[in-house]
Amino acid sequence: MTATVRPSEPMNVIEPHEWRHGTVVAGVKWKNPVGTASGTFQLDACGDYYDVTQMGAICTKGVSPVPWEGNPGPRIAESPAGMVNSVGLQNPGVDHYLADELPKLKELGALVITNVAGHSDEDYAEVTAKLADSDADMLEINVSCPNVSHGGMSVGTDPATLSRLIGRLRKMTDKPMIVKLSPNVTDIVTIAHAAVDAGADALSLINTLVGMRIDIDTGKPIMANRTGGVSGPAVLPIGLGFVWRVRQAIPDIPIIGIGGIDSGEKALEYLYAGANAVEVGAAALTDPTAPMRVARELDDLLDSRPDLAAKLAQGKSW
Amino acid sequence: MTEERFMSTATSAAVVQEAERFGRKPGRRVDEIVRAGTLAEGVYELVIRDAYVARNAKPAQFVNLYPADASLLLPRPFGVAEVTGDEVTLIYQVAGAGTRQFTQLAAGDAVDVLGPLGKPFDLDKSANYVLVGGGLGIPPVMLAAQALSVRDDVTVTTAFGYRNERFADDLVAQYVDAPHSITNEEGNVIDLLDSIVPELEAAAKAGRPPIVLSCGPTPMMKAVAQWGGRHGAEVQLSLEARMGCGYGACVACVVDTPQGRLKVCKDGPVFTSEQLGWVV
Repeated sequence: MTATVRPSEPMNVIEPHEWRHGTVVAGVKWKNPVGTASGTFQLDACGDYYDVTQMGAICTKGVSPVPWEGNPGPRIAESPAGMVNSVGLQNPGVDHYLADELPKLKELGALVITNVAGHSDEDYAEVTAKLADSDADMLEINVSCPNVSHGGMSVGTDPATLSRLIGRLRKMTDKPMIVKLSPNVTDIVTIAHAAVDAGADALSLINTLVGMRIDIDTGKPIMANRTGGVSGPAVLPIGLGFVWRVRQAIPDIPIIGIGGIDSGEKALEYLYAGANAVEVGAAALTDPTAPMRVARELDDLLDSRPDLAAKLAQGKSW
Repeated sequence: MTEERFMSTATSAAVVQEAERFGRKPGRRVDEIVRAGTLAEGVYELVIRDAYVARNAKPAQFVNLYPADASLLLPRPFGVAEVTGDEVTLIYQVAGAGTRQFTQLAAGDAVDVLGPLGKPFDLDKSANYVLVGGGLGIPPVMLAAQALSVRDDVTVTTAFGYRNERFADDLVAQYVDAPHSITNEEGNVIDLLDSIVPELEAAAKAGRPPIVLSCGPTPMMKAVAQWGGRHGAEVQLSLEARMGCGYGACVACVVDTPQGRLKVCKDGPVFTSEQLGWVV
């Protein structure tokens, strides 16, 4: 397959922009409805390519109570129009985050969602307690990572376990608390209700789908962790279906739609499915400027959709 | 219905111009292919026109190329082998469906590119730089030969190990003071390094101690690290890894080191043998 050189066109993704269409998520105003998805943003990598303060929100990588070394490599495999990762939330821990990445992001002026990770209820509580007095604008509780043996998805796939954890964290912080949901469940609506009833201010969905690839020369899984989480364009219709079902069941909860978004058009699909905002994940791994470009394309698309734009600006959804 | 395209990209010049105007690195962009061909059986050459890479690429840095087939999502990293004007030479072998598609590209076609990426070799010292490449690990060290050739405080020695055809010897000849190579049939790069010890010792006595720059299969690089340890030579290794983003965001391409898991794409690809704990 070959391609031809396309005509030169200015990208206009780097220059400062007067955002015309903002959104409101759990009372927090975003300058546009597009954020970065957790696990795909690192300030020291992404900040070289665009002004992070231009994003609606920056959602950081999962932050754990102590440094986590993550899973052994290989940690990634390609899949049709997608990828499978098993990073396992490698991160330098909450103390490092509070001393380094968070102050840097806030000094720049970014709106920050801190993703909270844990192996146990105690882990989540410890991180949440340390973040309660921090400058983070919102917290996103990661109960949906498929790549850790305890915590993560094991919490977010059981309504009683999820309810117990979110109820406990709710008492610890006044910060807007987003619960990030897993698609690896039988009934997303039951899980969504459990999170909201326990005190979630917003929901983000979907996290990655459990999947794997196998090397047919060895007969063994490509990734050392064997299974991982699938993301990328391939999961777009799945994420849309999940967002739509949750929106139908719970009309008022703010929803951040995630999954396969790599253009303003696809972000717009999520907004019509009922999301108040979106996050761009895998696309950022194929072009560092993708989140910024999606935001710019969406700003243009909302010009001709004043009803939708007005609802978003009022904190409502379509 | 959403328009079914995966990425909108613009040509190099427009992306680079905007990024540089606002003090950023340029993102993914479209480059023209100047030349494409075969250097030896299974060894392919691709020359792209990218003035930004040509201006900025340092030895052991790499560029991401993206398959035009949007169902293949991830970039393929290629070490920059040579820079001529605004032309950038990449040399590679077919490793799977993505690289196979690149072999179908011809002059005038386009390819999406990001880079240059990664931490380059440290070439600050006055030394005898011994470039040890194995197979398709040779291209990434070729740029070191080119970069060092303009300096008068260094000696450039090569020790290239080929499977069979010596595809790179002529390409770097003009940049190298002491060229050496070996094929699988004749032996391996450690045999070759052992055979040039007297030459290296003579250079060291003349004030040019050896610094080894190496890229190749991991078992070869581990052997090179140990050879460097035995001979008191500093060793810098450029690692290969199954990468995700290539620019430090996804943390997929880690290598286990005594300091913990480091990102090959951003903390490396160049590491010293001490950093990796490969010196025994």
